[in-house]
Amino acid sequence: MSRSAIGSVVATLVGFVLLWQAVVLLSGFPEYILPPPASVFERFVEAFLQGIIQPHLWTTLVEILLGFAVGAGLAVIAGYVLARSAVVERLLSPYLVALQATPILALAPVMALWFGPGLLGKVVICALIVFFPVAVATMVGIRSVDERLLELGRSLRATRRQVLTTLEIPAALPSILGGMRVGVTLAVVGAIVGEWAGAERGLGVLINLARGSLFDIPLLFATLLTIALVGIALYLLVVAIERRLVGAR
Amino acid sequence: MTAATGPAAPISEPSADVPPAAEGAGALRIRGVDLGFTTRDGGRLAVLDGIDLDVPGGGIVALIGPNGCGKSTLLRVIAGLLRPDGGVVTLDGGPITDPDPAIGLVFQEARLLPWRSAADNITYPLELAGWSRERRVDRLATLAELVALDPGVVANRPAELSGGTRQRVALARALALEPRVLLLDEPFSALDALSRERFDLELLRLWERAATTIVLVTHSIAEAILVADRVVVLSPRPGRVVADVPVDLPRPRDLADLDEAVVSRTAREIRAHLGDAAAIAAGLEVTA
Repeated sequence: MSRSAIGSVVATLVGFVLLWQAVVLLSGFPEYILPPPASVFERFVEAFLQGIIQPHLWTTLVEILLGFAVGAGLAVIAGYVLARSAVVERLLSPYLVALQATPILALAPVMALWFGPGLLGKVVICALIVFFPVAVATMVGIRSVDERLLELGRSLRATRRQVLTTLEIPAALPSILGGMRVGVTLAVVGAIVGEWAGAERGLGVLINLARGSLFDIPLLFATLLTIALVGIALYLLVVAIERRLVGAR
Repeated sequence: MTAATGPAAPISEPSADVPPAAEGAGALRIRGVDLGFTTRDGGRLAVLDGIDLDVPGGGIVALIGPNGCGKSTLLRVIAGLLRPDGGVVTLDGGPITDPDPAIGLVFQEARLLPWRSAADNITYPLELAGWSRERRVDRLATLAELVALDPGVVANRPAELSGGTRQRVALARALALEPRVLLLDEPFSALDALSRERFDLELLRLWERAATTIVLVTHSIAEAILVADRVVVLSPRPGRVVADVPVDLPRPRDLADLDEAVVSRTAREIRAHLGDAAAIAAGLEVTA
């Protein structure tokens, strides 16, 4: 990122914090409704120093990363098959759309029932929510591979596997990674929703604790901040991978 | 790998001015090639109609004809990318039914893989053929030199290259596996007229060094005469050979040769055949 780009990011952040502070001052909301940024930040640092957030953070991160890996991995395979087989697309797309149209919030209790309150249930929920955008992006990407490049591959006697690895995947990569950008932020949502449906540990659990038995509203906001930071970090990670792999074309 | 070992050889009369490098170049024999496409409403669109053509090993033949006459389609049949409905294409006596490593193809657009560097585009066929990295690097140096590629740009992506440089890369890629036949589908048509002449001459220099037969599809009579031993004129669709005009110019050729009287005579002849071809097509449409 250039210096001016970093400058504008910092400026926006400062503006956001000032706006938040202004709302707190002007509205006169008590701290248990909307804590001021300073107390949230203070609680955020304190909670990390006390080691309150970390165990929840690690649990959630593992859920997100495993769920994303499984969901995106299966979605790339499925997207490829959907792109190359009209029959499969006709047969499977109604189920895919139905799956996507069903709110994950409604599915989460079912997954908790089937897979229990442990890691597995969350991984399944994350994988489900990641699947659709990555599968669709892969399908679109593979379909839009330039026919002329495929003809070139044929003229050079590329095997099926070589066509896949040297033409189709590289050509579809920008599209696939675009789907993964969306997918990785949804995986965060999936993990939190999954934890709400029943879990012993995780950032979603911590939100419930902070709001309920602890009644520590600054901690609730500090947890929200942590979740947001996780989402941003993962998104930027995908963007960085995209830059590395796709780069200047 | 020599042209004269196949059972069907000799395929045609030896050409008078085959260069020394022609040893190892492939002889093409095209017999009665018919090809049609099925149209959207289920009809049949004849594209090629009984094409007969011989290209001796080391020869250069230009294919010329009106738009849509099936020049590019014929090139794809020779390349093994399209199967004809009837007739055969043989290379040194062996029938071509699928793409063959002995045939290099340059398309109208450079058709490079945008995510690969120029170097990796050139060695792409070698990679697919399973060559080791060291051998690819070796071969790359030879190929870059052969097509006079600026060494400063081999690491660049296609988007960073000029149109001419991209076509050089495409040419180097087509030559990577030392093809016995090089098929060129209007390879320089996107370049400006001056660059195009320069590329035509470079193609001739390259042909003198590489042992290859060339079939060049072109729109330009001047280009056809400058480059080819013979100019084959195709009729409007369905494409048929209407004339096979020899170019009586000594080699090595240069741009100055284009001022020779024989050139304008040849050009006039080709133009007349192109006119005939159009007239025949018009007549056929009236009677059909």
